[in-house]
Amino acid sequence: MTMTHKVFSAALVASLLAFGASGAAAQDVIRIGAPLPLTGPLSPEGLKQQRGYDLWAETVNAAGGITVGDTTYPVEIVYVDYASNTPRAVQTAERLITEDRVNFLFSPFGSGAAKAASSVSERYGIPTVAATASSAEVYDQGYQYLFGTFTPNDTLTEPLSDIVTSANPDVKRVAILARNDLFPLAIAQEMEKSAQARDLEVVMFERYAIGTMDHSAAVTQMRAAQPDWVFATGYINDLILIRRQLADQGVDPAVITMIAGPAYREFIEAGGALAENVSSAAWWHPAVRYDGEDIFGTTENFNAAWEARYGGEADYAEASAAAAGAILQLAIEKAGTIEPSAVRDALASLDVETFYGHVRFGETGQITSLEPPVFQIQNSRPTVVFPEAIKQADFLFR
Amino acid sequence: MIYFQVLANGLILGGLYACIAVGFSLVWGVLNVINILHGTFVVLGAYVAWFAYAYFGIHPFVSVVIAGAILYVIGHAIQAGLINRVIAAPVLITLTLTFGLDLMLNNAMLVAFTADYRQVNLANPLPAIIIGPVFLPGDRVAAMVLAFLLTGLLWRTLRDSKIGRAIVAVRMDREAAALMGVPVARINAITFGIGALMAGAAGALLSIVYPISPINAPIFLGKAFIVCVIGGLGSVPGAMVGGIALGVVEAFGAFWFGPEHALTISFGLLLLLLFVRPGGILGKKGYE
Repeated sequence: MTMTHKVFSAALVASLLAFGASGAAAQDVIRIGAPLPLTGPLSPEGLKQQRGYDLWAETVNAAGGITVGDTTYPVEIVYVDYASNTPRAVQTAERLITEDRVNFLFSPFGSGAAKAASSVSERYGIPTVAATASSAEVYDQGYQYLFGTFTPNDTLTEPLSDIVTSANPDVKRVAILARNDLFPLAIAQEMEKSAQARDLEVVMFERYAIGTMDHSAAVTQMRAAQPDWVFATGYINDLILIRRQLADQGVDPAVITMIAGPAYREFIEAGGALAENVSSAAWWHPAVRYDGEDIFGTTENFNAAWEARYGGEADYAEASAAAAGAILQLAIEKAGTIEPSAVRDALASLDVETFYGHVRFGETGQITSLEPPVFQIQNSRPTVVFPEAIKQADFLFR
Repeated sequence: MIYFQVLANGLILGGLYACIAVGFSLVWGVLNVINILHGTFVVLGAYVAWFAYAYFGIHPFVSVVIAGAILYVIGHAIQAGLINRVIAAPVLITLTLTFGLDLMLNNAMLVAFTADYRQVNLANPLPAIIIGPVFLPGDRVAAMVLAFLLTGLLWRTLRDSKIGRAIVAVRMDREAAALMGVPVARINAITFGIGALMAGAAGALLSIVYPISPINAPIFLGKAFIVCVIGGLGSVPGAMVGGIALGVVEAFGAFWFGPEHALTISFGLLLLLLFVRPGGILGKKGYE
């Protein structure tokens, strides 16, 4: 035992004390980690989520914070950009938990990255809300700490198929073109099942690679197959291009459905006249009307807050991100503590109305209580055609 | 019969690929600079056309000239001000430089224009041309024809004009050209300017075909790269042949094996060519 050892031990103790102090200071605020693709190909999606989280956090902090027992905590969202690179999303999630010491986590964008990152939050026992992960495969790992605000994919294709087949029995032949990517392919496969269940003939099912610059071969095949219904999946870039190339080759079926692009304002602006009558389905729409117990209250209130903050209307991804925050807040308040396992239990047993819709999570952690609306672009506006309660117009055939 | 349609699809696509690639090929062949900025230049040209149409109603085909002129100035300035300082350094240095410049320009565009996709929707699109079973989209065909005209114009310029001969001379032998009185640094700047001009012009043509976003820049760069390697570096006919070959192969590949394999097939072709003809289909060093 020498001097140096003692000095070293003293330094160690001092640094531990300092660490403890900063740890205590960190408890004055609820920190939520949000790994997002703020740059790279998914940045439009990442920025949408950020807008939703920001609106929630600003609304909470303007109201003083989240009240837990006797304490009111402001919230702080810790954003880290993972540059649209899924492996980095996973590393980022781990870093947020171990170094930034966040209390809770919002999942990275989309089903693939959310699933990948969920293994990290599960390991550390950090309650995690996924705002943009719909595929059932994300939730089938038996994880306890993952909750998702999108219903499974078939809840989109089923009502859509019902409306089309009941309104127009002449629609018999369906052509499906899917981006070879987790969510777009999964929803296309659900569409295939929904079509087959209604005795529609799937005359074509093709997938295209991520980054495809030309769909003329697929469209040529489609023209030969003479479909009544074209169902294309992908992201906004793909769908604008596919819609243009359908017109280029004169493919003009009775129904064109695209998921997930038409819900976004950019699709309507970039698509112009070609966007007209394109149908789609999404988990939320500004026209829904709910009277919630969350911080936003009614859907009208949420729309007004969005308009005031960003102008225009929120799309489903933006609303889902804001809802993820609002739902987490409800669970924290219900738990009466920010202790992770208690908040996790509160999330699991949540059964509450929000501006976003009724929130109840199923066994797997995925929401089961939403009724996703079907809509169609009519007169350059997304117009709800289902469910009946909030319907704005009838479904139009081309 | 459907094969005629697939062939037509391939030719139209190939014409656009050729136009995207020819400026990239020129810069690589003459200056030995792998210009990572090329894809971003294409997108910038598309934005010029988009803004010209949205705000002044200028048809994108007219904007080809405007976009070309603007991009020429930018390209000339970048080469004269920056790349010429390291032009004699190994190719990795200039590659790194253009990579860095690309990050800056592309991100500046993301900030200025956002990543939202835009598209030029012509008020009066050209009608489709229908020949028997073959369906030719009017605007795409017009864009392809213009792309070929532009590429042909560049080819004539390189062959017949004094500047063009000087560019070819620099390409063949930099030192000898300098000894013959060719102002190499100036020719470098002009060549890079022309490369950017072709990228901008291609972008303006593409604005009516593809959605526009800074995010798409790497896709255009990737296509330019493959076309150059397939066709042979630095020659205009090489880029033409490479572009058309790639377009036709992708069209038939997608038709026969499904669209998800189109990219695999084009990269497979690239690998094969690198084994069989490393110089590309028309690769002949020193000839124009």
